[in-house]
Amino acid sequence: MQDFEYQKPKTVTEAGDAFNAQSDGSFLAGGQTLIPVLKQGLAMPSGLIDLAGIEDLQGITATESTLTVGAMTTHARVAASPEVQKAIPALAGLAGGIGDPQVRNRGTLGGSLANNDPSADYPAAVLALSAVVVTDKRRIPADGFFTGMFETALDEGELITDVEFPVAERAAYAKFPNPASRYAVAGVFVARVDGAVRVAVTGAGPGVFRAAEMEAALDKDFQADALEGIAVSEADLIADIHASAGYRAHLIGVMAGRAVDAANANVGAA
Amino acid sequence: MTDVTIGQPVRRSEDERFLTGRGRYIDDINLEGQARAVVLRSVYAHACIKNIDASGALAMEGVLLVVTGEDWIAEGFGPMPTKTAIRKNRDGSELSEPPRHCLAIGRVRYVGEPVALVVAETDPIARDALDLIDVDYESLDAVTDAVEALAPDAPQLWDDIPGNLCIDFELGDREGVEKAFAEADHVITLDLENNRVTAVPIEPRGCVGSYDPETDTYLLYNSTQNVHAIRDTLAENVFGIDKEKIRHIAPDVGGGFGVKNSAYPEPPLVLYAAKKLGRPVKWINNRSESFLSDTHGRDQISKVELALDGDGTFRALRTDTIGNLGAYCATIGPFTPTGGSARTQGGPYDFPVMYYRGRAVFINTGPMDPYRGAGRPEATFQTERIIEYAARQLGLDPIEIRRKNLMRPEKLPHKTSMGLNIDCGDFPKVFERTLKLADPGSFAERAEQIKTAGRRFGFAIAPYLECTGGGPKEFAGVAFGADGTVSLSVGSQSTGMGHETSMAQLLAARLGIPFERVEYHQADTDKTPIGGGHGGSRGMELGGNAVAQAAGEVIEKASGLAAHLLQSKAADLTFEGGSFKDSGSGASVSMVEVIEASFDSERLPDDLEPGCLDTGSTFERGEISIPNGCHAAAVEVDPKTGAILLLGYWVVDDFGTIINPLLADGQVMGGVAQGIGQVLTENIVFDDSGQLITGSLMDYGLPRADGVPDMVIEYYEGAPTKKNPLGVKGAGEAGCVGSLPAVVNAVLDALKEFGVVHIDIPLTSEKVWRAVQDQGAHDPKGLIEGAL
Repeated sequence: MQDFEYQKPKTVTEAGDAFNAQSDGSFLAGGQTLIPVLKQGLAMPSGLIDLAGIEDLQGITATESTLTVGAMTTHARVAASPEVQKAIPALAGLAGGIGDPQVRNRGTLGGSLANNDPSADYPAAVLALSAVVVTDKRRIPADGFFTGMFETALDEGELITDVEFPVAERAAYAKFPNPASRYAVAGVFVARVDGAVRVAVTGAGPGVFRAAEMEAALDKDFQADALEGIAVSEADLIADIHASAGYRAHLIGVMAGRAVDAANANVGAA
Repeated sequence: MTDVTIGQPVRRSEDERFLTGRGRYIDDINLEGQARAVVLRSVYAHACIKNIDASGALAMEGVLLVVTGEDWIAEGFGPMPTKTAIRKNRDGSELSEPPRHCLAIGRVRYVGEPVALVVAETDPIARDALDLIDVDYESLDAVTDAVEALAPDAPQLWDDIPGNLCIDFELGDREGVEKAFAEADHVITLDLENNRVTAVPIEPRGCVGSYDPETDTYLLYNSTQNVHAIRDTLAENVFGIDKEKIRHIAPDVGGGFGVKNSAYPEPPLVLYAAKKLGRPVKWINNRSESFLSDTHGRDQISKVELALDGDGTFRALRTDTIGNLGAYCATIGPFTPTGGSARTQGGPYDFPVMYYRGRAVFINTGPMDPYRGAGRPEATFQTERIIEYAARQLGLDPIEIRRKNLMRPEKLPHKTSMGLNIDCGDFPKVFERTLKLADPGSFAERAEQIKTAGRRFGFAIAPYLECTGGGPKEFAGVAFGADGTVSLSVGSQSTGMGHETSMAQLLAARLGIPFERVEYHQADTDKTPIGGGHGGSRGMELGGNAVAQAAGEVIEKASGLAAHLLQSKAADLTFEGGSFKDSGSGASVSMVEVIEASFDSERLPDDLEPGCLDTGSTFERGEISIPNGCHAAAVEVDPKTGAILLLGYWVVDDFGTIINPLLADGQVMGGVAQGIGQVLTENIVFDDSGQLITGSLMDYGLPRADGVPDMVIEYYEGAPTKKNPLGVKGAGEAGCVGSLPAVVNAVLDALKEFGVVHIDIPLTSEKVWRAVQDQGAHDPKGLIEGAL
């Protein structure tokens, strides 16, 4: 691990200034990816700007139509939040299923989105709920945010401050976890917001993506049965020792059906 | 101050220290002025080393030393030989053993093989210096599959070992088995794989070494399971010095499971560097390096054949195993796929004849050595899988076929075709008790509910029989202090399993002294003249019996002093409940008082000195003992995804006398968890070029607490063995021995309506899902014949 400077600013502005002062700075959120990468010598930033001291990046607020989560809010806090559980229970459930307790107590929403690991859970929620990623410079709709494997629309030094999630009529997330890492082998977030259905798939492809055929079928009939016969092409899916592309394609169908069932059950329960 | 008894669930006295961060592990040991060592490891599975240029590293500020294989050979150091007891091929010739030096000499044979040692002022400097060593490799073809390595055109690892074959071993009655097969109504054959895993102890390996030029002696702190045997290898085989020249100490060790049994290259390299530099040297493996450089276990492919009568009576068992050794013979590497897997073939069943053939094969991976069970889990898996498979093929009830063939107690003692002397036990009783605890009949309603939810319920029962192992002698020393403490030094070793409690409990109970007064010591070659360390479930069997024997000697010595104190004759005294009593006068004196008197010149007779009660005792085992028992597992399987959930787990064990049931429970639970891990998620995977794919915990699936069910554990104590005075049979590995077949057979039971009869482990969700898709299409002879 190479030596680096360490700074812990108190405001978003200070964080931006600190970043700009570095030749090769890096923001540190929960550190669940960055710290291991540093230890392996795969990243060698000149300075780390720790965002943990910025109060403006913390917290959860809800209105009737929108749930806003600060970028530095941990997964554990989202999972346990009464506001999230009431507004979008599927989001609380997703956060509670990320990694393990240690990861959930350190990892953050903003860190997960900025990293955009193709197997991470949060991108599926952001894309399916058509959330808006708010940064220190602009507002980025979910459809334009995830641009590829570990790639996002964020500019150099641009900092996520909040994510605004529309409160869905129905939503649920179903994931088949990797037995070792507990990342998604295939995770499907299904949401109906303002009458429109969106289905986002994570873990199975090179990045989170929407399943258009499933969305069309569920638009007509929001029941798991409506997905029968919709085959997901394995052509663009990833394969590794844990799951072949064909198995992932199959799991997407199973998880989508289970997510729809859960979304309908959630409404019943409420 | 507490009185304890044998069989009492005394809570672990070491846990407060461990849980509050006051354990003293290898990385907690720092010697003044120490430098740090890091190993440069091969990035090729098979390559010639054309040249090593370390000048860049040596020019770096803070780098103190670089050692290469050429330097090592130039010093005249010897290789680390295998110490396996199994050394003969079927034709009587010796096994083929290549030299295993501490650094690669001219050629690397696995990814992770040590190529050079770098020593620097700090660990980060040493790690940075690795990048500045220029190794000129010429890549060679690699083979990473043991069956493929036997093929005529396979890449050859060793010029003088043709066909990559280390040993071709056999045991049992070959002709008798052939005859039985010819006469049997049914012969059932199944090829199966026992996958490659590694132990992943929570504490990685590491060591700290120093050299004292005045006395010409070395001091080595090492995270190991076996200080005496490894010291002997380092002194006698590597350095060619008297073994007394090395003091070898293991501090607290965070898990071993066999992976820390081996003599590894790093400790001798560290000692050499310490002498060369004139300052202590420390080396700590990280987790990624551990996956590459720790020994791995299992990794066998077997053809198993069972001959039965029409009514399901077993006639014969034959197993032909090809075991992977890695590129070298590690400390007892060739033992596991040969004698280790042969001895307990057939388990607790009444087989008239058995035969086992085992070949150990060199391939381009790191070395294999024991992993919890070292052959007995493999043997049990082979036996229980072929029985389950045969039951399915022949339409027999898997419970009934087992019940019918279990060896009856009146048949004991019995010597099996494998030469195993089964002295005692009641296998039918243990089997029926397990069934009663699990009560599979009560699951019908739950199974229906599970099916309604789209999943399937499965249940299986797996009797097992194993044997202990490890060094046949053990030492226990007892020394009393004037302050009332009792120092107990034992040559067996705890790597976390709780000997600090159980050995102290045993001594305290035997002497009738307060438990808290016993100070336990282990794993220091200066503290005990011999020591067999940890391995083969030998702790209580060897160490425990040594402690009991030493306690007997103390009582003998103390009775003389007690007689003096009571003005009696020693012959008139009885020792019971911690007191000596004169049967005539009724006068008595406690052991605690006798110990106090032994330090009181007023009360000591003229011919005795303080310390007169101290003793050192060596216990020698006559025969290995035979732990046995029965496991049962209930699972649910989701045929749509292949996901498996364990619903329940039941164990009845016959470990003979139980010293501390709480600690025995811990051994069983840990072993079962490791078995569940191997069966469901753990798997070491190499690609065709020999690169390790599962090099981190992101890909190597250790079991987690939420995947391991609550367990019901009971002990059958009706058959203590007479093979040792305590009547103990060994508890450390049994959990791992019974759990592989119990879980696999339960999963296959859940899938029976889909026609699935066999899936090789690990039962990954994809393999399970595909087996359901394939409706049981399976080639029972696909692994060996088809591949060779």
